Amino acid sequence: MTIINNALTGALAAQIVLDTTSQNIANVMTPGYTRQGVLLGAAHNNRGAIASPGDGVKVSSLLRFSDGYKNLQMWLAGSELGQRSATQPYLTQLEQVMGDDSASINNGLDGFFGALNAASVEPTSSPLRQQVVTAADALAQRFNSLRQVLSVQRISTQQQRTAAVSQINEISRDIAILNDKIVSSTTTGASPSGLVDERDRKIDALASLVGVQVIDQPDGSRTVTLRSGQPLVVGKTAATVTVQSTLTGAQTLQLVFAHETFTLGTSGLGGQLGGLDEFENNILAPLTQSIVDMASGLAAQVNTQLGAGFTMAGTPGGALFQFDPASTSALLKVPAGFTGQDLGFSANAAQPGNSDNLLAVIDLKNQPVTVTSLGAVLLGDVYTQLTGKLAMDSQQNQDSLKIAQTVRDQAEANWKTTSGVNSDEEAMNLMQYQQMYQANMKVIAVANQLLDSTLAMFN
Amino acid sequence: MRIASTQYHTTMNRALQDSSVTVGNIMQQMASGQRLLQPSDDPVSNVRISRLNRQEAALGQYRTNIAALKSRLQQNETHLDSMNKDMQEARDLLVWAADGSNTSSDVNAMASSLRSLKDALFYAVNAKDQEGRYLFSGTATATAAVTYNSAAALGARYSFTGNTVVQNVVVGNGVTQAANVSLPEMADMLNLLDRAVAVLEAPGVNVNDPVVQAEVTASLNGVDDAMNSVNSKIARLGGAQNILQTMDDNFANVSLSNKQSLIELGQLDYSEAAVNLNGYTTALQATQKAYGKISTLSLFNVL
Repeated sequence: MTIINNALTGALAAQIVLDTTSQNIANVMTPGYTRQGVLLGAAHNNRGAIASPGDGVKVSSLLRFSDGYKNLQMWLAGSELGQRSATQPYLTQLEQVMGDDSASINNGLDGFFGALNAASVEPTSSPLRQQVVTAADALAQRFNSLRQVLSVQRISTQQQRTAAVSQINEISRDIAILNDKIVSSTTTGASPSGLVDERDRKIDALASLVGVQVIDQPDGSRTVTLRSGQPLVVGKTAATVTVQSTLTGAQTLQLVFAHETFTLGTSGLGGQLGGLDEFENNILAPLTQSIVDMASGLAAQVNTQLGAGFTMAGTPGGALFQFDPASTSALLKVPAGFTGQDLGFSANAAQPGNSDNLLAVIDLKNQPVTVTSLGAVLLGDVYTQLTGKLAMDSQQNQDSLKIAQTVRDQAEANWKTTSGVNSDEEAMNLMQYQQMYQANMKVIAVANQLLDSTLAMFN
Repeated sequence: MRIASTQYHTTMNRALQDSSVTVGNIMQQMASGQRLLQPSDDPVSNVRISRLNRQEAALGQYRTNIAALKSRLQQNETHLDSMNKDMQEARDLLVWAADGSNTSSDVNAMASSLRSLKDALFYAVNAKDQEGRYLFSGTATATAAVTYNSAAALGARYSFTGNTVVQNVVVGNGVTQAANVSLPEMADMLNLLDRAVAVLEAPGVNVNDPVVQAEVTASLNGVDDAMNSVNSKIARLGGAQNILQTMDDNFANVSLSNKQSLIELGQLDYSEAAVNLNGYTTALQATQKAYGKISTLSLFNVL
């Protein structure tokens, strides 16, 4: 009864296809789900009979519609996106703080030099002199609050780095476990498609944290390494990354893999880690140093010039600013008890009404100070240039972020053209294989009728 | 090309998000009237705006200084003017005293008036500001402009103890204007006046005595010299105020052009923003409608 057997293989094959279709339809919205298909093949006639067309249909294998190249593209785009999007919130916060004209150091400088200019109208007037001290204090406060914002940003980049590293470790362990499961299920012949999907999702998450290279192994496992080659996952073994703090307050990364310790370079890591590193070392650190330099230059020049003059009492002028480069909360400070009388505006000890030294102090605004990342720049223009530079860095990152987002969207779309489920396609499969099933059932019915006809001959 | 069912949702999601961000930015621009919401929107314009703001702050301060300096100069002018009036009165008395028909008692009476005028002038030249600092002693503001020493010989009792150093006020970038007036000439005049008073108040003074006449004439000349000198200082103060007014007007013009630049660089063009808003809103609506239509298309609906 070849007919019945053939029809049975057809009906069973149709059931398997319908099973697969139902799995695809069920997962139409599942992120990272790779659609599956069934490869059917004609079963050959093994009995050597001449007039036999064959032994029905067989399910050769379950297909996984996946393209390794598209996966890699998606992960690469994920790293770039992770890098750009980790940096942007910091840049945006910083440029909003520095760009706010009413609260900026520029505004404080305007106030300070305005008070000095006002004092030149009546250099002996106590209220006008006191106003200079008050404006100096307000200026110092603005330096301090910006210094504090910069310090908080550094702390949060470091915290974010620590959190990212612990996520990397966790994901690496998960990938190692999945590698192990996939290898063993491949040996037992079970379909590992769900596990592979899960592993791809993990690798995608890992790629957004740090740039990775992924190599497929013949046993079905995947080796994941950093861009610089250090291994994160090999087979069922995962590496551990640790964050070390140096004496200067900076952080370095170490990777330990099976008793081997690698020190990771700070640049070119990619992903969130790379973005954080780029921001901390290329933007935040130079900016902080520039602000400290500016405060240092301002304090030194103003103090020196005031010291060259004489107070109302005819004594050499006192230092208006105290500068402490190590402090994150009191970079500049007006000494307690400093009064307007202590300002050395006069160029002559015997002439309290002399304003020549005051004019020299006022001219400091047009004198250059040397600032890291800018060189020698006029005191009155330093902050404007720093803000401008930051704005350009931010703009550049925003552009890169936009591009990275587009590339990633494109890569995802590309991945979906191969691996994503199309419900119309599945609906057609559903109808076609339902028909196939029904047709095979009909064949069994026909075979049954044939048998009945044969039996009827004996009645 | 195959398209996954979820691709529609993803594409739509991205398009809706992008449009919403753009529309949100335009709304924020319209609410604040600012074209630049943050420096990175246009770094170069931001630097230019910041520099214009710095210049505006400096100009504002210069103009405040000019106003304060003008009032100070006017105050000086008022003082000098009243000294001038006193000197004019002293001059009238001296001219009258030189008249040979005056009796000695007439001259004695005039001497008493002259003494009061001399004291008033001494007081005026040592005028102080509200904080007790001398106005006319140059930059030695803690020292009286003219000091009286009763122990010295007649004709040398008054001496100028201030200095003639100029006190400069900043009225522009690198531009200063002298704010103080020192009056060294007043000491010489007061000494001559002192001598004339001493001669004229002597009992039984004879005006026709050539010695007396000589003293009166010398004093008259001294007063004339001092008046000329003070008058020329008043004229200089007037001239300085005119210059300040001109500078103030110039600053006002520069400030106006700065403000126009600031508006051009930083202010939102509302009509352009409104057109953009309209465009993006329409695009957003169209996208939403398209999504509504496409999401109803499914083969399962007809099975």
